[in-house]
Amino acid sequence: MQKAERLLDLAAFLLRAAEPVSWREIQEQFPGDYGGSEEAAIRKFERDKAELLELGIPVRWDAQDEDRPAGYLIDRDEFYLPNLELPPEDLVLLYLAGSAALAQGAFPYAKDLAHALNKLSFAARAPGASETAALAARHLSSDDAAPARPGGGGPLAQQLEELSAAVMAKKRVHLAYQGAERRARTERDVDPYGLYQSGSAWFLVGWCHLRRDVRTFHLARILELSVNAAAPRTPDFAVPAGFDLHALATRETWEYAIHAPERCTVRLEGPVSPEARASFGPRAQLREEDGAVVVELVATNAEALLRHVLALERAQVVAPARLRQQARAVLDRLAERLA
Amino acid sequence: MSAPRKAAAKREAPAAKADPRERLRRVLFLVPYAVQHRGIPVKELAAKCGITEKELLEDLDFLLGVGCPPFAPDDFLDLYVEGDRVYVALHQSFSRPPRFTESEAAALGAAAQALGGEGKDRALAALRQSVPRDRRKSFDELMGRLYAGSPPAPGSVLGRLQRAIGERREVRLRYYTATREAESERTVRPWTLAQRFGHWYLYGFDLSRDRPLPFRLDRIRECALTDARFEAPGAAQLSKARLFSEAQGEAVRVRLAPRAAAWAVSRPGVVLVARDEDGGAVVEVPGANEDWATRFALSFGGDAEVIAPPAARRHFAETVRRSLARYR
Repeated sequence: MQKAERLLDLAAFLLRAAEPVSWREIQEQFPGDYGGSEEAAIRKFERDKAELLELGIPVRWDAQDEDRPAGYLIDRDEFYLPNLELPPEDLVLLYLAGSAALAQGAFPYAKDLAHALNKLSFAARAPGASETAALAARHLSSDDAAPARPGGGGPLAQQLEELSAAVMAKKRVHLAYQGAERRARTERDVDPYGLYQSGSAWFLVGWCHLRRDVRTFHLARILELSVNAAAPRTPDFAVPAGFDLHALATRETWEYAIHAPERCTVRLEGPVSPEARASFGPRAQLREEDGAVVVELVATNAEALLRHVLALERAQVVAPARLRQQARAVLDRLAERLA
Repeated sequence: MSAPRKAAAKREAPAAKADPRERLRRVLFLVPYAVQHRGIPVKELAAKCGITEKELLEDLDFLLGVGCPPFAPDDFLDLYVEGDRVYVALHQSFSRPPRFTESEAAALGAAAQALGGEGKDRALAALRQSVPRDRRKSFDELMGRLYAGSPPAPGSVLGRLQRAIGERREVRLRYYTATREAESERTVRPWTLAQRFGHWYLYGFDLSRDRPLPFRLDRIRECALTDARFEAPGAAQLSKARLFSEAQGEAVRVRLAPRAAAWAVSRPGVVLVARDEDGGAVVEVPGANEDWATRFALSFGGDAEVIAPPAARRHFAETVRRSLARYR
């Protein structure tokens, strides 16, 4: 029997059973599947059990008590998706957030997210308007009438899908990576600790075996990716207890550790929009001066600060002088080409 | 009859798909959904599952071979298509989908974290409860290893917007318009929220402008619900009214030097037009306006320039000249 079919047969069998089912009985009912040597049969059954759990179907062993014999069972209360006891606006939040993430075209666990959104229509007792709003989000981003294939999108979506699986299973990955500053291609093994999004870009954080340090990798610079295929159910590493993805993810690009800390000053001519102020992050100090806003901050990646300032309206680098000269040189070159 | 049916099903089983696990997850949704929506059209069910109609029919064939021992006729799943509609005669206890797996709940949870709103914590707690008990620890761990950005607007604004979208009530917004550097009052029918180019937008029908428009969430200063109700927009209306479609004429083209190309081509919304031999590239950003294109190109620090259409290139050139004047 095909495995997919066997797993569903097994789930149907255990769901229907009135009391725990013994191993013997399972073997009798599935003679073609759990035959052969006892040890091999048990191993196969254990693998099936693990796969069912991965599908959200918890099969467990129940020890004998006064009323029931020992055996395997699927507790119906633990199996069926419960109703989410949430007010309508919270359901809207889940539908909107989920479908907007999916509509981005690349999101970790995109396939899982699509399943989750579908399941949500069961878990929400009266989804109604919220489901309509979510469908609207998908419509806004899908380019044709064909069914969306989460995770089947471009190379970035595929990379994210593979990395998501590696993050969850704690499997080591091998990267061919294009460095940002030196443009050199390097090959390295990385233990993938987590994934984060900043702006519209995705980043991998993990232990880099080449640099022997926790490093951040921009997914757009990953040229090749492979996941350690050996022993897929056995983790290759443990994530250190103190690992804080949130702290890494909320760094500004000029706070990446590229060089020694350097105090920088940026001037924004008024009127300055609140989002321009906010774009320098929570650690920048801002003060008003002659109708302008002066921003003081510490950069450990001044190049990135320069790029940020160039893209802002009416902004200029004031200090350090070297960075100011660099800004001028960049703009000079562009102006020459455009003349 | 039972044994022959099982044997026949085995013989006629369609070739295994690339990812059999994906099929299992799909059918565990498909069966209860068809039970809940008796007589659902094949087309609709296929769209809901994200597959083609042919694939759906293959799934239904596969399901005919599923059942539970002793595999008497009544022990099989029984689904049939009649007049292009799907009916389930016997569901064999698959009347509701299984609980969220930890990765399903974590993906939805990370998305909810990134959007935010007043109900975020309640929604996350409910998600956690919907994962099988012995997988909740694993869900917690995964939530700590995924971060999809910080909420784009104050919780109160989002909370009100989410309520208004759900209840289909018009809102009054105080909105900051970047191009005019001014705040304005708008009355909007909030249709949905969407993310594009790294920013969140409310998409809705602006009553004062009499057309659908996107509003960047971090530019909404205040949001108040009114008692006026509206009908949900139709699919046709929505598919016409894409984000930024108002500004869409000719797509903006940007030339990227090799260093910038490595960063840019994988960004969502960026379409590769041509790749140079040296690794540089020309890309198009459909629906982007001149302002956005200029900022996009300048964010590569001299490694990119807007090349078309002419108006966008002029806008880029003027911005470069104005910026340069500040360094004289």
